[in-house]
Amino acid sequence: MRRTLIIFKAVTKNWLRSRSGLFFSIMFPVLLLLVFGAVFGGGGTSTYSLFIQNLDVDGTPTPLSEGFIEALNSTETFAIRTIPGDVTDLRSYARDVLGPLGGNIRVLAISEGFQNDMLNGTLKVRVGISYSTLQTVYEYFEPFLNETERMAMQQGIDQMGQYNASLPDRKASLTLILDASDQSSGIVRSIVMSVANAFNYELMGARNIVNFEEEPFTERQLRTIDFYLPGVISAFIMTNGIIGVTTNTTEFKRRGIIKRLSITPLGKLEWILGNVLSQTLLNLMLTAIIIVVGWLAFNAQAIPDIFSIVFIFIGSVLFSGIGMVLSGLIKDVEAASAIGNAIAFPMMFLSGAYWPVEFMPDYMQTIAKALPLTYFSEGLRSAMIYKYTEGIIINMAIVSVLAAVFIIIGSLVTRWKEK
Amino acid sequence: MAKKVVEVSSLVKQYGDLRAVDGISFELYEGEVFAFLGPNGAGKTTTVEILECIRPLTSGSAKVFGYDVTKREDAKEIKKRIGVLPQDFSALDKLSVKENIDLIGGMYEKKLDTMEVIKLLDVEDKANERFENLSGGLKQRVGVAAALVNDPQLVFLDEPTTGLDPKARREVWSVMENLKKLGKTVFLTSHYMEEAQVLADRIAIINKGKIAVIGSSQDLISEYGGLKVLVVRKGGKEMAKTLQDRFGGTTLNHNGDVFVKADDVNEMWRVLSTLTEMNLTKEIEIQTPTIEDVFLKVVGGRITEEGELT
Repeated sequence: MRRTLIIFKAVTKNWLRSRSGLFFSIMFPVLLLLVFGAVFGGGGTSTYSLFIQNLDVDGTPTPLSEGFIEALNSTETFAIRTIPGDVTDLRSYARDVLGPLGGNIRVLAISEGFQNDMLNGTLKVRVGISYSTLQTVYEYFEPFLNETERMAMQQGIDQMGQYNASLPDRKASLTLILDASDQSSGIVRSIVMSVANAFNYELMGARNIVNFEEEPFTERQLRTIDFYLPGVISAFIMTNGIIGVTTNTTEFKRRGIIKRLSITPLGKLEWILGNVLSQTLLNLMLTAIIIVVGWLAFNAQAIPDIFSIVFIFIGSVLFSGIGMVLSGLIKDVEAASAIGNAIAFPMMFLSGAYWPVEFMPDYMQTIAKALPLTYFSEGLRSAMIYKYTEGIIINMAIVSVLAAVFIIIGSLVTRWKEK
Repeated sequence: MAKKVVEVSSLVKQYGDLRAVDGISFELYEGEVFAFLGPNGAGKTTTVEILECIRPLTSGSAKVFGYDVTKREDAKEIKKRIGVLPQDFSALDKLSVKENIDLIGGMYEKKLDTMEVIKLLDVEDKANERFENLSGGLKQRVGVAAALVNDPQLVFLDEPTTGLDPKARREVWSVMENLKKLGKTVFLTSHYMEEAQVLADRIAIINKGKIAVIGSSQDLISEYGGLKVLVVRKGGKEMAKTLQDRFGGTTLNHNGDVFVKADDVNEMWRVLSTLTEMNLTKEIEIQTPTIEDVFLKVVGGRITEEGELT
């Protein structure tokens, strides 16, 4: 144990004094968190530019068309700008005038007669509903009516039917022009449709039949940044192990440092354990810094507990073990670094560390299930954010088994004697 | 009779078809400096690493302090008692000299005070300097300090001056001379003839895995070094002819220098008398054979600065 601690101290000191080591192990993850947090989880509301041409103007815009634009505006999702009414070819205008302004092109055209068509359409729907309701009532009560009552009712229903048929069958028209390459086009389309549907229901006097309520999974109010934070921590614990340990150990081997130590009474397991402890400390430091940055910059909610610390230790063993396996099998430092990167980077993006696995196509989800980082990031997220005991236990069990397997293979392939 | 520290008998190390060490036998005695002299690939490092218990042998036997290098428990005892400066010694770049020596020292149950070792190697002023900032010579001195930190009875120095400039090489030699004064038994490997001749009590010339000759440098030179040579600078053709006629074994180089080989001291005096008779006014010198001549004689080639056999 004494020798293990001496190795731990020396390797840690050597790493702490290495600028490139510090950058890639600590600074790079922090920068990535800041970028991710600012783009996806900073807490602000995203706004999308939307150009609207309102052709339903009678001197001034009609109340319903104006109301529709107001409704869109009240979602606080759009930065609305106006397209003059004399523009006839909206596509050319979008390409030639809006295109050079930069950003994605989103154009909504409110057609002439929007208000009239909406009112007429509403009247036609309402009359139609009344007509079919009366018919249903008539069919139900017919056996209980005398001939006079029956004829009077039939006559009223027929007159209502005729009136409904006389109403014009026109619908108010909205045209949304979106760029197919615009990743936010789905969101924009959904919001415009939601507002249009709200108008439909309101004008028809419909009440909500299905009541919809949303409740948070946890008692705390979690945001996107809270999803990213454990993801960034787990991803970089993985890269520190797979890239960091592989590269450092191969470099120590190339320079004969491991050989020099092997001539002393130091044992192979003491060497490996010293390195694992050093990785654990590094990863705890990384976690602490990431959490503090998350708190300060984004008011993140992550709270590390004893499970998180145990998880970080087991994760450090697992990924150091993988690093030891690679450095035991690869002699060349550059090849070790390249192979470490080739394993770590795809794993980082395929494992669900940065986005939910459910977002990925089926075949990618299958790949994700085979990656150790999937279980590590899920477990760490369960421990730090969701406090979901079952998720912690299952993932911890999987990560522990993998850690044991890789550390055993790592110690077998680490050469403590020349051939 | 000094105590045997290392006993090697019929040692063989085979890599596939290559026999790196081919049945060598030798002993090392307490307090001596023993040198393995040979070109790259001769089997020097392989032999040393077998004795350091980090490379298995194929056949034969090797014992250090009476412990068998092939036995796990014996290897632990050997490792406690030896100090090693490996070929191309390196240490943790970002740690200081003191921290690196502390690291190696920390691996042993008993160790010397690190600063004491640093003083011994005369690197006190660099104690807090990072290893990466040291010159090649200083790095080797740190390596020797690390080899001494457990106060070993036997020190292996594997090619300690390879790649160093002449000044740094001299510095390392001075360190090695101090080891002898400290009473350490030293096993040195080198491809530098002068190094082996200056530092070693006994030399084993090794080539292609076999020991060609073994003995003190004086004995080897006497036995294999050949004749002493008297050189007359710018003596010219006429003198060369006269000396050739009287003594034989005379040659002339393109500078006009005359070389006369003398079988023994008496013959040397006779040559000098003849030169006196000839009213010699030229510069003369007597060249004695070196270990390089021994090497040339027993191996049939020379070793380049890079350690290659030509």
